[in-house]
Amino acid sequence: MNLTFALCGNPNVGKTSLFNRLTHSSQHVGNWHGVTVGKAEKRINFDGDQIDMIDLPGLYSLSVYSYEEGIARDEILASKSDLIISVCEASNLSRNLYLTLQLLELNIPVIVVVNMIDELDKRGFALDAKKLGERLHVPVLMTSAKYKFDTSELIRAGKQYLINYDNEKVKLPYLNKLPLRQIEEIIGDNIKDSGFDPRYACIKTLENDDFVIDKLNLSSEQKSRIKALGDNQALVAKCRYEYIDRVTDGVIVKNKKRRKSSDIVDGLDKIMLNKYLALPIFLLIMSGIFWVTFGFIGSFLTDCLENGINYLSEAVNDILLTAAFPEWSRALICNGILQGVGGVFAFLPQIMIMFFFLALLEDSGYISRVAFMTDGLFRKIGLSGRAVFTMIMGLGCSATAVMTARGLEDEMMRKKTVILTPFMSCSARLPVYTAIAAAFFTSGNVPLIFGLYILGATMVILLAAIMQKTPLKSGEASFVMEMPKYRFPTATRIIQILASNAKNFIVKVGTIVFAFNVIVWILGNFSLTSGYVMMGSGESIMERFGSFIAPVFAPLGFGNWKAVTALISGLVAKEVVISTIMSLGGMEIFPDPLAAISFMVYTLLYVPCIATLSAVRKEAGTKWMIFGLILQLSTAYMITLGVRAVILAFNGGVLLGISALTGIALILISIVYLTDLVFKKKKCICCSGECEGCK
Amino acid sequence: MTLTDAKINTVYKISEVKGTALKRRLLDMGFTPDSRIKAMGLAPLGGTVLVNIRGILIALRKNATDSILVEEIK
Repeated sequence: MNLTFALCGNPNVGKTSLFNRLTHSSQHVGNWHGVTVGKAEKRINFDGDQIDMIDLPGLYSLSVYSYEEGIARDEILASKSDLIISVCEASNLSRNLYLTLQLLELNIPVIVVVNMIDELDKRGFALDAKKLGERLHVPVLMTSAKYKFDTSELIRAGKQYLINYDNEKVKLPYLNKLPLRQIEEIIGDNIKDSGFDPRYACIKTLENDDFVIDKLNLSSEQKSRIKALGDNQALVAKCRYEYIDRVTDGVIVKNKKRRKSSDIVDGLDKIMLNKYLALPIFLLIMSGIFWVTFGFIGSFLTDCLENGINYLSEAVNDILLTAAFPEWSRALICNGILQGVGGVFAFLPQIMIMFFFLALLEDSGYISRVAFMTDGLFRKIGLSGRAVFTMIMGLGCSATAVMTARGLEDEMMRKKTVILTPFMSCSARLPVYTAIAAAFFTSGNVPLIFGLYILGATMVILLAAIMQKTPLKSGEASFVMEMPKYRFPTATRIIQILASNAKNFIVKVGTIVFAFNVIVWILGNFSLTSGYVMMGSGESIMERFGSFIAPVFAPLGFGNWKAVTALISGLVAKEVVISTIMSLGGMEIFPDPLAAISFMVYTLLYVPCIATLSAVRKEAGTKWMIFGLILQLSTAYMITLGVRAVILAFNGGVLLGISALTGIALILISIVYLTDLVFKKKKCICCSGECEGCK
Repeated sequence: MTLTDAKINTVYKISEVKGTALKRRLLDMGFTPDSRIKAMGLAPLGGTVLVNIRGILIALRKNATDSILVEEIK
């Protein structure tokens, strides 16, 4: 038999954790609302049956407010699944059952899983699942998906329920209090054509749900008759919640003493969200993360690996020398591959530390608090505190981060967040900073590197603020965000995070970085006419091409073909920037420390990798992707010039400094003008875009 | 009074959620008439309020708190 089970529930109740347990998958999970932004599907075999498990983004109600909630609703309404598993959070039962009721109203088979039962236990309570199930007339099961458990009971219960399913048995007495009859009299004929379940269509019409009302194709006469019934939104919500209060009465009972630790955790917000302490604590946490990643601990581990690779490179070199391999193959293997690919590989520990902390921010629930405390700033610049999730995820990987913007309610806001996220310094850019800082300054120079990260974040804020003054202004969006409970990842989860990130990095370095590194080395060392040439002779393919573009970067201080090659190849993956530099002769491509700083700033801000570009295109469209690309290239150029100007001015080159700053101002003005031109809506003569027609 | 004017750490009773675009979402999230609500704190940069409703912490911007009418519980 072929069955489809869909997991459905409020955001952050552990649907994906449960999905991972049921299907032995490793979909991304985190302790904040809206981690899952798309549908995931996996087939499992169970007792000879094939069951397709579907994981959906979380939603609060079938009347949706954001893009990702829409994905879940459409999937549920398409009713391709045989059974809906309504996942609820134990310590937030009433709000979760609100969605369960809406699912039951659809007249489809639903079973309830109360997840995170362990948290109830720690607080000294127990759930009487049997009693709740009897009152709701549907099976209620208990799980703790965070920990390993036997999933067969859940699947078996679902299958059993389907065999005996009879929708007459599921009674929803509160519906009698609603004027559904009157609604059905008005819209009865429209329902048949819409394909909706009649009861669902009536309830949603009563709730004034635009999605359903649009599909029903109501005449203006019908609409006014519905309007005459009054505003029933509050009535529907109240009836559902009253019913929930009745069925949950006495099902959660105190059975033992509350654990001391849960008092401490519950009291944490008093300090973490204190009006005066919140931001200093956040900055302290972030500096701590950077200090560990780039300071003594991170750089020590990187140095160890680097030494190991150098040693290996020398050993291989000796072997190849004695074995009398051709000159070019020895250079390719030792200088090209081992120095280049190995040079990137050495950053494995630092990247793993970074991802570990990001996972900790996500899993602890702290990231939602950051969104709350920074919302004031983000509101002023036309973004939402929710954008913080995307920005902080952007410290890991820009390509995956832009997808998390789907949770933003406002379209303009969402698209702006998508194109601004690449300014956040992703983990692939980390090797560039560390390697260059170690070569020109001190190893593990935390202030310098932290400064670069702050520069990236500042650019996001600055550019968003500028866009607020252009036609890209976003409206005053709502911000309704739940704070998850503080939670701590299990040891297994931490090992899983570290292992999967290490694996991803090694695979990436072993495939894309490796392949591209070989290509770049060959292009840099071979000429079309004379074959293998020594680098620097001016004849190799890459040298000719790079030298052609290099003058563009001369004002930035790194106008040489090697730096240009590194930047261009960095489009494939930012890790390739450093592997290219290493395999083309190392840090001597920068004439002075100022050029090195300029290069770091430029690498931070210029175009993201191809994977990110295609993710941006998917999320925001081609027009926005191109706009983002131009924005990034020009911002990178200007800011790098600006940084140089400031440093030069401090060192006495005042005239040069001033002229550079003037240039930047001019380019900035033209960009604002260009955005105006591209995105401007046509305005009528009589107003400045304020009248009904213009909006 | 609206939730915007609520005192921190005081429990109120919701009397009405006014008709805005956010109305249904707030109702769905449990801001139903007669429920108890407690203002927990203000964001450091202002404008956003943290409230406790049905045991859950929810952050709301001013445009949402403006539309929630509350009355003090005596």
